[in-house]
Amino acid sequence: MIRVLLGAAGLALIAYGAVLLLDNPFPTLLRIVIWAAAGVVLHDFVFAPLVAAFGYAGRRILPKVWWVPVGVAALLSVTLLLLAIPVYDRPGAKPFNPTVVDRDYPLGLWLSLALVWVCTLAYGGFRCVLARSAGQNTPKSLPVGEDEVVDQQRAGHVDRQPPPV
Amino acid sequence: MTMSTLRGTAITARIGMWLGVAVTVCFLTGLISHFIQHPQPWFYWPANPVWLYRFTQGLHVATGIAAIPLLIVKLWSVWPKLFERPVIGSPLRLLERGSILVLVASMIFQLATGLMNIAHWYAFEFFFTTVHYAMSYVVFGSVIVHIAVKLPVIRQAFGEPLDFGLPDDGRPVRRRTVLRGTWLAAGVATVATVGQTVPWLREVSVLAPRSGNGPQGLPVNRSGAEAGVLKTARAPDYRLTVSNGDAERTFTVDDLANLTQTTLQLPIACVEGWSRNAEWTGIVLADLIATVGGGPDADVRMISLEPPGPYSRTVLPARHARDGRTLIALKVNGQTLDIDHGFPCRLIAPSRPGVLQTKWLTRIEVVT
Repeated sequence: MIRVLLGAAGLALIAYGAVLLLDNPFPTLLRIVIWAAAGVVLHDFVFAPLVAAFGYAGRRILPKVWWVPVGVAALLSVTLLLLAIPVYDRPGAKPFNPTVVDRDYPLGLWLSLALVWVCTLAYGGFRCVLARSAGQNTPKSLPVGEDEVVDQQRAGHVDRQPPPV
Repeated sequence: MTMSTLRGTAITARIGMWLGVAVTVCFLTGLISHFIQHPQPWFYWPANPVWLYRFTQGLHVATGIAAIPLLIVKLWSVWPKLFERPVIGSPLRLLERGSILVLVASMIFQLATGLMNIAHWYAFEFFFTTVHYAMSYVVFGSVIVHIAVKLPVIRQAFGEPLDFGLPDDGRPVRRRTVLRGTWLAAGVATVATVGQTVPWLREVSVLAPRSGNGPQGLPVNRSGAEAGVLKTARAPDYRLTVSNGDAERTFTVDDLANLTQTTLQLPIACVEGWSRNAEWTGIVLADLIATVGGGPDADVRMISLEPPGPYSRTVLPARHARDGRTLIALKVNGQTLDIDHGFPCRLIAPSRPGVLQTKWLTRIEVVT
């Protein structure tokens, strides 16, 4: 019941938004649709495949100890790069108003990216040292090569529930 | 296709919840800003505390920015579902996929154009505010539809431990790590921009569209040159006219300066999410209105020297007009107003969007 009510309320809101949008003349409406579609296409068929490819490559190239720090650093970098797009080249700069987009954005972006990756290297390096010293003290939990077998397994290999007795 | 077991409902539901919170905050604060600018009889907006609009609109923009990494990770967690078979399937499935398409498209649209708008980059070539307002109903509505569709899945996901279904083989990346990384990214996005409204962070907000600098220590959204008032505002025959029906008085700049002056700390808060506190000096509007016999219960119209346009005249509700902290300012931070801040005089009222703090005033009318 609550799902039906929620669904109806949501659809009503969407319809109201659509009515408001339809107030726009056709060329404007077309521009809105193109911008909305472009966002989805760019994400689903450009950005997301690139992320998947980098993830795939990263898992094969990087030692495991680097997966977390590099993954997080990549997310931070993408976030900073997206935030930088509208300001980097100051496309909104105005000749008569120097207070709009008034920072040195290239410097800011590169400094913040450098900070992210320096922290990542420091954190990863620290983890490396930890892993190495731990490896010297304790025997490997799995025989050589066996961890790779486990690595190749996916969720489908694991039963969702314990088998019934 | 390689599909990491990290992706999945456990992450989608948790990040989705926070994304839902962010969308709700943006929607409500956005409605507040809309109805202040397009007043309705049922809408009440207080003049107290003076920083209230600064807070709601700063929150609106900051939340939208923090939602960007949330949306990235949310979409990452479900992206493989895009290629699930059948592509279309039953009518119900078509409806579900259609609603998700509307959700994703409107959300990316809203965040992308919003981010461009605060940087004054109008490459989208449509009038931002009306489209942003209309699209906000589509975004909020499709979030609600999405919750309705997914409610059983959401319940199940929250009922299970976060790493449910992940093999416990000491793999380096757990789902908890993904969540922590996402919160960190949302934090970094906030710190990188929020200095435009939180002054002590201005040095580290390297990607904020405003540094907070400007003439007399304040940014400007519309300069005197853009408004085309450089000559009229400085003309020797400038007069401020105050009227109430047939009663009318005119003031020269010197006349205004000879009236009782009041100095107050008030924020100027832009719809674009930047804000700054400043010390304003000028005449209490209620006193000025009293010179033409205006009472405390009338709205007051502010008319700018700027040629007619969407923001060249505004109506100040009576609640703000009678407030003792609403000034017709002649000075800011101890100096005569810069032309870009509204010389010779401007309105500065508590808890109002900067776009309604009319600059270069030529006429003040009690609405009768």
